[in-house]
Amino acid sequence: MNHHKPYNPKDIAGKLAKTFLRNPLTLVLGISLLAIGYLALMIMPREENPQMVVSGSTVIVALPGASAKEVEKIIVQPLERKLKEIKGVEHIYGSAMDNVGVVNAAFYIGEEKEDSNLKIYDKIMQNADMFPKGAMKPIIKPLDIDIDIPIVSVAFYSNDRTMSQTELYDKVKKIQHHINGLNNVAVTALKGGHKHQFNIEVDLNKLSGYNLSMGQITQAVQAVSYNVPAIKNKTRENEIVMLGVKNAIEDAKDVGNIIVAQYMGSPIYLRQVAKVTNSYDIQNFKSALISKRKKDGKFMPFENQVTLTVSKLQGTNAVIIADEVKEELQNYKTELDKNGISYVITRNDGERADDAVNELVMHLVLSIVIIAILLIFVLGWRESLIVTFTVPAILAITLFVAYLSGQTINRITLFAFLLSLGLLVDAAIIVIENIHRHYHSVESAHESNDEIMVKATDEIGAPTNIATLAIIMTMVPMAFVGGMMGQFMKPIPENVPVALIASLFVAYIFTPYLAVRILKRPKHDKGEH
Amino acid sequence: MFKKFEKLVYNGIQSSAQRKVILITTLITFIISVLMIAPTEIVKAKMLPGKNNDTFNIYVKLPTGSSIQQTQKVTQCVSSYIIKEKELLDTEVFLGMGSPLDFAGLIKGSHFKNSENVAEIVLNLTKKHEREEPSYMMVQRLRPIIQTNCEKLYPNTHITFVEPPAGPPTLSAIVAEIYGDDAKGIRKLAGRVENVFKQTKGLVDIDIMEDTLYDKFEVVVNTTKIAKSGLSVKQLNNILYLAFEGMAISVKNSDKYSDQIPLFLRLSDDSKRFTKKDLEAVKIKLASLKLMNKKGMMVPVTELVTIIPKKSNPMIMSKDLHQMTNVLAETDMVSQVYPLLDARTKIINTFVDEYKVEKTGLFNLQLTDKSSGKVYKLIWDGEMKVTMDTFRDLGGAFIAALILIFLLMVIYYKSYTLSGIILLGSFLSIIGVIFGHWIMDIFTADTFFLTATSLIGFIALIGISSRNSLLLIDFTKSLMSEKGMHKAEAIAYASATRAKPIFLTAIAIMLASTLLASDAVFGGLGVALIFGTVAAVIASLIVVPVLLYMSDLESHFHFHEKKAVSVEDPV
Repeated sequence: MNHHKPYNPKDIAGKLAKTFLRNPLTLVLGISLLAIGYLALMIMPREENPQMVVSGSTVIVALPGASAKEVEKIIVQPLERKLKEIKGVEHIYGSAMDNVGVVNAAFYIGEEKEDSNLKIYDKIMQNADMFPKGAMKPIIKPLDIDIDIPIVSVAFYSNDRTMSQTELYDKVKKIQHHINGLNNVAVTALKGGHKHQFNIEVDLNKLSGYNLSMGQITQAVQAVSYNVPAIKNKTRENEIVMLGVKNAIEDAKDVGNIIVAQYMGSPIYLRQVAKVTNSYDIQNFKSALISKRKKDGKFMPFENQVTLTVSKLQGTNAVIIADEVKEELQNYKTELDKNGISYVITRNDGERADDAVNELVMHLVLSIVIIAILLIFVLGWRESLIVTFTVPAILAITLFVAYLSGQTINRITLFAFLLSLGLLVDAAIIVIENIHRHYHSVESAHESNDEIMVKATDEIGAPTNIATLAIIMTMVPMAFVGGMMGQFMKPIPENVPVALIASLFVAYIFTPYLAVRILKRPKHDKGEH
Repeated sequence: MFKKFEKLVYNGIQSSAQRKVILITTLITFIISVLMIAPTEIVKAKMLPGKNNDTFNIYVKLPTGSSIQQTQKVTQCVSSYIIKEKELLDTEVFLGMGSPLDFAGLIKGSHFKNSENVAEIVLNLTKKHEREEPSYMMVQRLRPIIQTNCEKLYPNTHITFVEPPAGPPTLSAIVAEIYGDDAKGIRKLAGRVENVFKQTKGLVDIDIMEDTLYDKFEVVVNTTKIAKSGLSVKQLNNILYLAFEGMAISVKNSDKYSDQIPLFLRLSDDSKRFTKKDLEAVKIKLASLKLMNKKGMMVPVTELVTIIPKKSNPMIMSKDLHQMTNVLAETDMVSQVYPLLDARTKIINTFVDEYKVEKTGLFNLQLTDKSSGKVYKLIWDGEMKVTMDTFRDLGGAFIAALILIFLLMVIYYKSYTLSGIILLGSFLSIIGVIFGHWIMDIFTADTFFLTATSLIGFIALIGISSRNSLLLIDFTKSLMSEKGMHKAEAIAYASATRAKPIFLTAIAIMLASTLLASDAVFGGLGVALIFGTVAAVIASLIVVPVLLYMSDLESHFHFHEKKAVSVEDPV
């Protein structure tokens, strides 16, 4: 043993300990690590579930009048064959119904969304000639998880039963436009509600009574409701004079006054054979209803409602967007109240994500406290304090790396942290335990504090490095798990190795640094040189 | 205390009887734990357990061809039961369309719903922390009540309960894809599979993804008559559509409203309805609808066409260019693996009356119709396939991890035996994982499944326990080389000295995992870590020393000469 020569570290552990032990910048490094970790925790987008890269497109081709069998043969099957040519497509689902064929191409999980969409679009456009005569233009609907799945939905309903079906829709539509203008909002859509429409409901019996046909009525209405652009003319002095041709139809009465035929010299008005109303789209069978618990605990009767859905852009913070939507709605509250319209937020994924994240952060903190208490009993409170400090430092580094690599904070990320928590205190515990042992052992009595720190750290360096490497190696193959499940748990192989590597550095740098300042050597050996 | 332990190890590893006892006990517990999974099914496997949610959906599907009013009647029935729930905050009904899209709906095709026979109901519950009953228990309780009372309103109505999945969403827990070449044969086989599912315990929400056949009437155009009357087929088709479906024949722009206002023409509701659903009623109605020819003469539609009753054309579905139909089933709080195997056995046993049943692949079946000779395939998809794929991939990851660790150890120690001991020691933690799940299953109300997260925990454990063994071996080595201790002495001293940090880190892992164990999804991982760590500690402090003693340590550590035996016992 080297009694008088200073201890020469062999392993990176000892070298790190030696370099940082008396370096004034170590403290700065420690504080800044905690700061960037906290910053990352605050600004990283929060989600409930991790982001998955799922790509796929649906191609819809309508062929009016064709039976399901015909559609299968002339639309679905050729389309399926073409889509099969595309690389990266995992499954092709086809369905042929009367009048329409739908083919869905699902890509392997993890295939880039933009590329996949482009491939499908390209293939369809290149082969636009394969569709039969009479088929309508193919509609290509790409699947986009971020945009398709709303994070907030709000149901608007009227307390006033007399409010017309379309009024609610129009009011909500106005709000929709403002919500869509919020930062990072991708798509807003309305579900339920009815649009404005003039309905001409012809009485079949009267029709035959007047000896009229539906065709005649169509022609008569179309003839009157014709729109023309403004007419421009000039005066002799070359001044421009505009002539606007007013649309003949202003309201339901105008429609009713359309003359559909002459019978024995007297005109037959549309109102004589049909009921004309300024109303809503009666052909739309879809509707949405809502019922909510009232203050007295009973449920109100079901009311017609219009649901506004809001989805966010990829990688943006659901929590912030949901809060902004809520705030924006507050601005309209008085106006809505005046009109007798109430709203209920029926989905708030931002809040859900925030709850999930906060709950897990609480779990993390609790676990750290429990471990700290345990260490107080076994090692003493000073040692416990040191180990407890290393945990936030490691988590801070991991969070910051996760932030740099564009991850979000979600259930699985935090769960990766919880999983690594048990593993990452190990390095610090092993170091502190060895320091503790040397402090109390007679053999090391003659060595200086600094020397013991470096030596104790260095001793366990090699096996700890290898052991940590072993744990990292168990995590690495997990990154190659395929399918949706692989994507789902990706944060584990992404974050646990980072946390483990960080735990080594923190244990080698900060544990001796803090130990030499906080730990007290037992009295029985005053053998310092 | 550690002194005592040192003595124990010192004596233990040197007595051949005790060594035998330790090794045989280890082997027996290992075999028992493996047996708990495979033949006895004491510990059950599932990909991910149910999650307690603040919301869930109810999908209502009436037979194809049902009207929106009929659908609404069913949703009203469902609503009447759910508004009695104390924990319900609000509920929304979406008739004829899907509810705002969610993860589950994305896979189940909720966004494509656009017909009168479907509806979705959203239920928003109180926050899960304030609610005693987890959402999956609520679903389990409501399902039989609602299904028995509301599905009977119209035959062939399906009411299914859709909860947000804990992990990646799938079409359904069990999906039987039935492939074949003729639609009729597929339909028949699908019906039989559906019946088997209905008789299988643990399966609920059973449904076939196919259109129900219903009666319809086809208008066959008589082209000669049309030509003779001075009309055209196009004109006839247009008028028929206009009369009964209606069309926006013109639009009006308006600055008051956010959309263009269509002028919509159609027959009035009273006058367009058929009196009954039969051929006569249709004929009478069509007779009163007339077309005007070029000469201004009115021709009734019935003069130009013949109307024949027909069955509807069901949708034809295909996957990867093969025609097929899905039979779906959800599981009622059980793993999908076991009902699937039950159903499969039943299919193999009972379908022999009409089909020749052959097994293909792991679970799939091939059925050949005995009378027609047509071949059908039954392939399992859905959560089963995802589970199989995930467990296979995780198993692969696990083996890869073992190999990587082994190689790492070989590089470090340059000895296969020592690396083997470390690997063996870490593999033993599986005993703890399985026993842990068994113990948890006894103490929890519902089944505690061995899940994908348990497997992740197990993989992490290999790393943890190999580190324990590694620190132990490393210390033994330095004791032998630097202090010149005897093998048994060194092993015993190293075990005792390393016991403290091993215990400490083990307890740290266990404490960190306790909070995980209460989580529905990550409970498996928590339990795997807690109990696996216990096993790992026992393995590295008792089994590994024994194995070490039995191996020729001196040569494995590459000592060129045997070190002197030391009697000195350091403090």
